[in-house]
Amino acid sequence: MTSSQTETAPGSSAPASPATTVQAFLDAFARRDAAGALALVSPEATVTVHPLGIGGRGPGVLGVVLGDMIRAFPDLLVTTGRIITTGDVVTVLIKVEGTQAADYAGAINQEKHLDIDQAWRFTATGGVITGVSAYWCQQQLYRRLAVKRFDAIAIA
Amino acid sequence: MTTTQTRTAESAAGVVTEFFDRYRAHDINGMADLCSINASLSYVPVEVWGKQRVLRGDGKVGTIGKPLWTGLVTAFPDLTNTVHTVAANDDGDVVAEVDIEGTQQLAWGLIRPAGQHYCEPHLFVFHVGPDLLIDSMTGYWNDAGISQQLGHEEVD
Repeated sequence: MTSSQTETAPGSSAPASPATTVQAFLDAFARRDAAGALALVSPEATVTVHPLGIGGRGPGVLGVVLGDMIRAFPDLLVTTGRIITTGDVVTVLIKVEGTQAADYAGAINQEKHLDIDQAWRFTATGGVITGVSAYWCQQQLYRRLAVKRFDAIAIA
Repeated sequence: MTTTQTRTAESAAGVVTEFFDRYRAHDINGMADLCSINASLSYVPVEVWGKQRVLRGDGKVGTIGKPLWTGLVTAFPDLTNTVHTVAANDDGDVVAEVDIEGTQQLAWGLIRPAGQHYCEPHLFVFHVGPDLLIDSMTGYWNDAGISQQLGHEEVD
C-alpha cells in the first residue's frame, strides 16, 4: 500500500469530516473488507495496538491486525456503540464478536466464541486517517478463547 | 470548582486533568468530589469469574470506583499516572490517554505481591455534565499486560 484513498463528503468534493472518515473505516471493517478500511489510512499514519504490542506506521501495520482478526474469525461481527468526536480525534467504542476458526494471537483454535469490548482512538484530517490507537483487554480475549496461562498460550 | 463556570471543551478537559492530578496525589475523596453523586463507572477489563456469577467493574463511582481506587493505591503505594493526551468537545465528552504505573506491595486480586512494577496504557472516556462534574467514565486497558508485568501468568 503506497497511497491512501481520500474520503469525500457525500455530494461534495470536500474532504469528509473526521467522523465520516472513521465511520467509513468501520463500515469496511464490519464488512470484513480490510483493503477497503486500509485504503483510508495514510501511509504515514501512526499505528499502536496496545494489547498486541504492535506499533508502527502506515496501513501495512494495521493490515496485519485486521487481517489476522478476519482470518481467525470468519463470522466476525463488529458493532459500533459510540462515536465520540473531539476535534480531529474520533474515539469509537465497539464490540467485536466471532467464532474462532484459526489460530489467533498465539491461541490455538478451539472454536470458542469471542465477544470483547474495544476502544479505538483515531485521528483523521482531510478525509484520511492519520493515527490509530487500539485498546482492549487481552486477558478477556484469552479467557474467551479458553487459554489458561500467558506463558503457555498455545497449549490447550 | 465553581458551578458558575460554563462548560466548554476546555473546562471539561480541565476537570479530567484535575481528576488525574488528584489520582496522582492519592486523593480518592477528591477524585470522587469531581464526580456527580450518581456518576456511573465502567472499567471494562474488570471481570472476576466466580462459580455462579461474574463480577464486573460496572456500577457507580461511589460503590465501585472508590473501592477500586482505594485498593489500587493501597496495593501499589507509589501508584502514579502520566496523562499523554486529553481531547474534549463542548458537549462534555473527554477522551484521555493515560499511563498508570506502580510497584506492588500488597495482593491485588489474585496477584501475589512480588515487588514488581507495572506500567500500562489506559484509555478513558469521560462525560462532564453542565455542572462541571463527571457523570460517567469508562476505562479500557490490557489486564494481561499488568498481570504479566507483575509476574502472574495465570489468566484466572
